[in-house]
Amino acid sequence: MSSEDPSQGDGLARELQRLMRAIDAGGRAVLPRSNDALLQSIVEAAARIFGGAAASILFVNEEKRTLEFRVAYGAANRHLVGMSFPLDHGIAGYVAMTGQPIAISDVQRDARFNRDFAEATGYVPRSILATPLLSGEHVIGVMEVLDKIDGASFGMRDMELLGIFAGQAALAIEQSQQMDGIGEALVIGLRRLAASDPAAGTPELLAALEQESTSDAAEAGSSQARDILALADLFNDIGALGEAERQACLQILAAFATYARSRKRSW
Amino acid sequence: MVDGPARPAWSQQFAPAAIRDLTASGPIAGLTPEWAWGGSTGQGVRVAVVDSGIEHDHPALGNSVRGGVAVEYDEHAENDVRIDPDDPPSDVSGHGTACAGIIHAIAPDAELYSVRVLGTDMRGRAIQFAAGLDWAVDNEMHVANLSLSTSRQEYYGLFHQLADNAYFKNVVLISAVNNLPAPSYPSLYSSVISVAAHEGRDPLLYYYNPAPPVEFGAPGIDIQVAWKDKQYLVCTGNSFAAPHIAGIVALIRAKHPDLTPFQIKTVLWACAANTRRV
Repeated sequence: MSSEDPSQGDGLARELQRLMRAIDAGGRAVLPRSNDALLQSIVEAAARIFGGAAASILFVNEEKRTLEFRVAYGAANRHLVGMSFPLDHGIAGYVAMTGQPIAISDVQRDARFNRDFAEATGYVPRSILATPLLSGEHVIGVMEVLDKIDGASFGMRDMELLGIFAGQAALAIEQSQQMDGIGEALVIGLRRLAASDPAAGTPELLAALEQESTSDAAEAGSSQARDILALADLFNDIGALGEAERQACLQILAAFATYARSRKRSW
Repeated sequence: MVDGPARPAWSQQFAPAAIRDLTASGPIAGLTPEWAWGGSTGQGVRVAVVDSGIEHDHPALGNSVRGGVAVEYDEHAENDVRIDPDDPPSDVSGHGTACAGIIHAIAPDAELYSVRVLGTDMRGRAIQFAAGLDWAVDNEMHVANLSLSTSRQEYYGLFHQLADNAYFKNVVLISAVNNLPAPSYPSLYSSVISVAAHEGRDPLLYYYNPAPPVEFGAPGIDIQVAWKDKQYLVCTGNSFAAPHIAGIVALIRAKHPDLTPFQIKTVLWACAANTRRV
């Protein structure tokens, strides 16, 4: 990245090109073309594995502060998709707000629970197991499995297993979204870098990446794409302050990485 | 598909077959549940429920709710949070009301304070939570029930500082451990009383786990709880185990106001259902 060391810059360019090719060749082939097809297969699997009569995935819309049914399987599925309700509403809203799963049985005892939802769909579940779809600490959605077929309620073991299952689902969703956003994010990050320090830019790579990029849509892209942008911006700002600041920034990041790894080992 | 005990990772220590017998000897063996909380109703003890709020007029709560605040994320405010009065206290989801109902059932004369830190703005949850915890300590609560947590490592230091501050200012923090097999703060700190769920029904029956981090197991599986809009639900989660211990601590604090947080943890240990006193 430094203009004083051209070989390092070439290395970075080659590495980025390799990364982009790998994503293009491998990433998209691994995942279904349609995000919804992937999600649909996830909820069907969840319903079958946990013995639920129905299952659904809701996405969080942080700006509107709503949850929207993205896919559903089983009872009332056609009515659900596309419906949204406020985040402070019902069990899924609680799960989204806290990032914690919950299991509830005996829901029909009181029809006031999610009344408008129930009236709109004509379906009130007896039991619910709901768990967050987490991207790191960030709640991107909620997965619900409804009405345990062979029991009165979902147990804590179901809760733990659905949590693990949802972790996999969230990874798949995130990865699928990243495929769309990561290329654009890199282009924007590199463009900003080139604009602030022309010597540090890699014009050929940039031109190549621009061709792959459709737009600056990554500004509103996946959370990881936004993180990459934010990191590029921060590093750029700090680097502009001087070599000592850039080194300090690297050392802080390295120290945190060491700390984070050691914490993971203890768990 | 689902075999074995119906518990999450943090509750496995409280499966009947996993509970280990402990022995209290010497003067500590003299600490009995009767001594610790017999005859206590929690009178005069202030309990903060740091959660989604409390529905003040839910029939499960009697007249126990004495006040409340709402901690809102606000980029323009100092430390990015704004603390507004929430009068009368309300609940955005029902979860805080569930916790409050459990505490009230055990300690009917304890005074409950709603510290609402959950809302629909998801940007500042950890900061709201931290500010709510800070409010509970500043406002001289005796007990704070925390049926929520963060697993964000960047807040490890902040919550550790808050937990230490509570400990030194004589505020007992009761924290539910994560329902998912992941670390959560502040439940992992040693000054905090961390709680997971067991399948028992007796609200005063709890166990101690000699292999922490999670130290106590209390009822939290398929139990009826109060919920928003004056309703009741049957729920499962470590969230509902913590307020059982919070209620018991409120009883102990009312009867023995001089006990400090570490002494209270010792009393809880000595009075656990799996501790044999010789």
